Amino acid sequence: MINIKINGLPVSVEKGTTLLEAARFLGFPIPTLCHMEGLTPYGACRLCVVEIGQGAKARLVSSCTYPAEEGAVVRTASNRVVRARKMILELLLASCPQSKIIQDLASAHEVRQQRFRQEHEDCILCGLCVRMCKEQMAAGAIGFTARGDHRRITTPFDISSEVCRLCGGCIYVCPACQLRCTYTEPDKAICGGCANLSPPCLEKEGFDDMMCFMSPCVACEIKKD
Amino acid sequence: MVRLTSVDELISFRRRVQEVKSARPARPTLVLCAGTGGQASGSNDIMRVIKRHILEHNLQDKIQLRITGCQGFCEMDPFIVVEPGQHLYPRLKMEDVPRVINSALGGYVEEDLLYREPHATVKYHCQSDIPFFKSQTRTILGSNQQLDPIRIENYFDQGGYAALEKVLSKIDPAWIVAEVKASGLRGRGGAGFLTGMKWQLARAAGNGGGRKYIVCNCDEGDPGAYMDRSLLEGNPHAIIEGMIIGAIAIGASRGIVYVRSEYPLAIKHTTIALRQAHDYGLLGENILGTSISFDIEIVRGAGAFVCGEETALIRSVMGYRGEPRQRPPYPIEKGIDGCPTCINNVETFANVPVIIRDGAAEYVKVGVPGNSGTKIFSLVGKIRNTGLVEVPLGIKIRQVVHEIGGGAPGRAKVKAVQTGGPSGGCIPASMFDLPIDFDSLVQAGSIMGSGGMIVMDEDTCMVDVARYFMNFLKDESCGKCFTCRKGTQRMWEILDDVSKGKATLAQLKLLQELAEVVKDTSMCGLGQTASNPVLSTLRYFRKEYERHIVHKRCDAFVCNDLVGAPCQSACPLGTEAWRYVAHIGRGEYQEAYQAIREANPFPSVCARVCNHPCEERCRAGATGGDPVAIRALKRFITDNIDPMSFKPVRHTSAPPGSPPVAVIGSGPAGLSAAHYLSLRGYKVTVYEQDAEPGGMMFSAIPGYRLPREVMRKEIASLLDENVTLVCNSTLGRDITLDSLFEKGYGAIFVALGAHKSLRLGLDGEDAKGVIPSISFLKAHNQRGEQLARGRVAVVGGGNSAVDAARTAKRQPGVESVTIYYRRTLKEMPAFAEEVEAAEQEGVSIKTLTAPTRILTKDGSITGIELIKNSLGEVDASGRRRPVPIPGTEYSVPVDTLIVAISEGSDTDCIAVAGVNRIEVTAGGTVKIDSDTLLTNRAGVFAGGDVVTGPNTVVDAIAAGKRAAVMIDRYLRREVLAQPEQLRRPSVYVEPLAPEPEAAEPARRVELPRLPTCERLSGFVEVEKAFTLEQAAREARRCLRCDLAFTKPAPQPEETTVHAGGAQ
Repeated sequence: MINIKINGLPVSVEKGTTLLEAARFLGFPIPTLCHMEGLTPYGACRLCVVEIGQGAKARLVSSCTYPAEEGAVVRTASNRVVRARKMILELLLASCPQSKIIQDLASAHEVRQQRFRQEHEDCILCGLCVRMCKEQMAAGAIGFTARGDHRRITTPFDISSEVCRLCGGCIYVCPACQLRCTYTEPDKAICGGCANLSPPCLEKEGFDDMMCFMSPCVACEIKKD
Repeated sequence: MVRLTSVDELISFRRRVQEVKSARPARPTLVLCAGTGGQASGSNDIMRVIKRHILEHNLQDKIQLRITGCQGFCEMDPFIVVEPGQHLYPRLKMEDVPRVINSALGGYVEEDLLYREPHATVKYHCQSDIPFFKSQTRTILGSNQQLDPIRIENYFDQGGYAALEKVLSKIDPAWIVAEVKASGLRGRGGAGFLTGMKWQLARAAGNGGGRKYIVCNCDEGDPGAYMDRSLLEGNPHAIIEGMIIGAIAIGASRGIVYVRSEYPLAIKHTTIALRQAHDYGLLGENILGTSISFDIEIVRGAGAFVCGEETALIRSVMGYRGEPRQRPPYPIEKGIDGCPTCINNVETFANVPVIIRDGAAEYVKVGVPGNSGTKIFSLVGKIRNTGLVEVPLGIKIRQVVHEIGGGAPGRAKVKAVQTGGPSGGCIPASMFDLPIDFDSLVQAGSIMGSGGMIVMDEDTCMVDVARYFMNFLKDESCGKCFTCRKGTQRMWEILDDVSKGKATLAQLKLLQELAEVVKDTSMCGLGQTASNPVLSTLRYFRKEYERHIVHKRCDAFVCNDLVGAPCQSACPLGTEAWRYVAHIGRGEYQEAYQAIREANPFPSVCARVCNHPCEERCRAGATGGDPVAIRALKRFITDNIDPMSFKPVRHTSAPPGSPPVAVIGSGPAGLSAAHYLSLRGYKVTVYEQDAEPGGMMFSAIPGYRLPREVMRKEIASLLDENVTLVCNSTLGRDITLDSLFEKGYGAIFVALGAHKSLRLGLDGEDAKGVIPSISFLKAHNQRGEQLARGRVAVVGGGNSAVDAARTAKRQPGVESVTIYYRRTLKEMPAFAEEVEAAEQEGVSIKTLTAPTRILTKDGSITGIELIKNSLGEVDASGRRRPVPIPGTEYSVPVDTLIVAISEGSDTDCIAVAGVNRIEVTAGGTVKIDSDTLLTNRAGVFAGGDVVTGPNTVVDAIAAGKRAAVMIDRYLRREVLAQPEQLRRPSVYVEPLAPEPEAAEPARRVELPRLPTCERLSGFVEVEKAFTLEQAAREARRCLRCDLAFTKPAPQPEETTVHAGGAQ
């Protein structure tokens, strides 16, 4: 067992436990977007940062990927952590203002403004769908491509995947486009697949701009008839 | 080829190689630098010429050619070093090669091909005397010069694999680790982790069998850093030897050289070296007959910057996308395929054989405690000697930049160095005494990184630098971490806004906040250091950011959207130089005069005496060409158009019943202020202490530069019904600030000029025959007195020194005129054309000389004692400080000594004690708010030389113009400091049809001048005006930078017509 202290509370955890798991075990809330039980930790959204170490050596690490180390001293809501989280949420709001999850998180963290140039993106590249597809659905139909601000999720060579079984798991786990995919009340959603009231797949030729990798989209096909 | 099966065989083999070599008769050797840099500069051509010459002349047995990797002196590529003698022939041309070969054969030196510093005459016969090499310690890089990288025999000959011998003869991994630890070697990749410690951990990791990897990281992606490439290209066996030793130390069985595909030569040389090492039994199963088996393979990276990060590198080696992951677990525990993996930098491995061969105790003697050994830096950017330099750690930045690098190549001073590549930071010139070691650099907000060192001078905009690096990082971020991906993109957006003048100060604050969070929350080294360019430039160059945001100015003239047309931007008055040049080209002279006169009330004066900052910044002159002769074109127009023909537009803004304004001083500043206030509808009274208006223009500028009638005419055109001139009225004697306010003036503009020459501070300065330059010039210009006689000495190097010298030269009874200046001609502040003209007229200029004593007899000067100076260290002004050489004093007989070291203002009259005292600086100039020109007393503004010290006419006019705006705002009770407007070209002047392209780029039309023989007879103007043809030709040379902003967008229907026509 490994002994650590979180926000002053001592706790013993098994080897291999992440700081996020340990903190949640103690009931400390840590927001996450790219983390999901059953999928390998990825550490992409950086919302779950916590502060470890003392004095000049204190630093922020993503709690979802950082393993508990003997004697670690963890602070889940220090000023430094809160400041970082607020900035991350501001950045998220600037990119994906339409996501309900992000709006709620920003509101909960008292982020009242966003000072960047407004963008309207669908994806925060948390990678949940990629891991879902590979690890739980054993398909590996989608993955990341390109670097930096060109990075995006797609099928290999941007052609519709032969290994995709149209399971919809990718859409199920997506934290950013949740509102779009399920509308405000999931049971009233018109299209379970890609979009809401007016599914863009009906208006557009391809699926390039959509967060939907189902080709053809089962739900939309039904709707069309 | 023999396969060596024991350590003894290796020793005897090496001995044999060395014996064979020494048995041959000694032959001169041509050493040719042919690394990637050398090849790019043409060393392949040189190589072919050498080979052909050797073959054609049957010199195979008489001369030797050694083609080496990069030797570091890339600025001088392609170059040949001739051994023995180490004569270095830089920047060789193919036709000079036979001469070099013949000189090597004949044992003599080709003097005129030898290396010399630019603009210097001293030749360096020996490579090790050249300043670039002299101050270096080339422990690692030095070997590159000694061997041909594709010949393992060369490496053996140089004592190669001796460290491996030592290691294999005792096979004690713990000893290797202890030795490397004792050497204090820190990882040369940038982070500076102790290599010995890493190896110890790697040795302990995964005990109980299983594979271990040792990886050489040559994913060198920093713009401007190439030392790893040069090592792998120039001495691959040293890296292989270091890796074998490392493998033995940690127990690794497999080695990987991870090198980017962009380094084909490095890959080629390493592949050859690996095959040779294999053939000799130095790699593979049972190395040299021992039980150790170790093999190395090359993995080529696809060129992603992030793959230099160790966890990303591991993923890349395994065939995945190069994305970092969380550490721990560290690669030492879990690396390639989950096996312990030890990753070191190329340069680290290159150091290992040195440590093992010479012992750690020897190694730590170089460098400073905690930072032992040498480090290779690639010195690039605005530096004279671009190249790779190897210096002991702990050396000062100043030494690297100025001694080895030779300082800035142009006139602009070195401003900062950027260390550590894109994720490093900028260190300002004021901190150049900082020792270069891992810890000091981090403290200063930068990093060592792999050793890139980009030098920046004053023509480098720090905002643009940060923007450039951020652009690089936003493309090279792997994109996994949200903060690194979005953070770099958002930082770039803000920096881009700043560089376009669209940002606000609030955004600057946001930038800082964001940069700190990105640094804090990113997963890998790339993201954690991505903010460094922003944070360090914000820390040391915040002023530049604020200039961009508040004043909408880019002082380095880099940010295109702020600069607009450089000539317009450089002009303190914002004169649209491009506009009148364009009009002259089209023959529209009246419009040209309009463009000039709108911005400048003294066009004829400026056409003669302006220091033309517009020409300094002209893009036609930026890359080695000649700038457009803008001032001469202005002269052409002002000579041909009558100033009275221009009727200025009056925008009356003065509210009815506004109080009048008093202007003290009728120089360019005072009269400009009066003129523009008059145009706004204010009544202005100008007080002048002398009998005639003109101020410093009149009293300090000699008639051969500025004819009096030209100046008088121009002044007369400014004195309209709103302006009253009161001469012979001195502040402090006839009027005071208080008395003026009492008389009902609403505001006062103080523009007294700088009429007081500073003193040398030597005994005998009050002797007869010693004259301050301003008194001398005034006496001549105002009263026609001729004070100089006999042998005249002028001390100083500014314009007033040259003016005084040229005036003295024209006076009767003067035998000779000599200017003594303490620095060199290059540092002289006087305008270059004035200095040139003075020399033509027979004024002799003695530089690096300063007076120490004034020799007098009976109260009259008889001579001066002078001392020779040498140039010492670079001082705060970026110029090399003159240092007197003791014992070089000498005396010269002198009848007249003119002191022209600088001028100050007579500010005693306004700095009188009391509540209404006007504050002055320690230098005796009036203290003002630089934005509003307001002094500490309400309603009193100041500008011109009285604020700046001796300065140019155009700056004084600009101050006067600005004062008019400020006084107008003041009297209308508006806020004085208001946001600046962008000064960009706004009027479209249609360009002329292009002429058929000439073979040669058009040179600048030389301005005609009076022949020297005619000049000295009097004070006739020396410079003449262009003829009509000359002016038209010169005007056509303009590149029309304005069109980028003013050219109307092409009409859509036009394009369809063209498309149709094309089909």
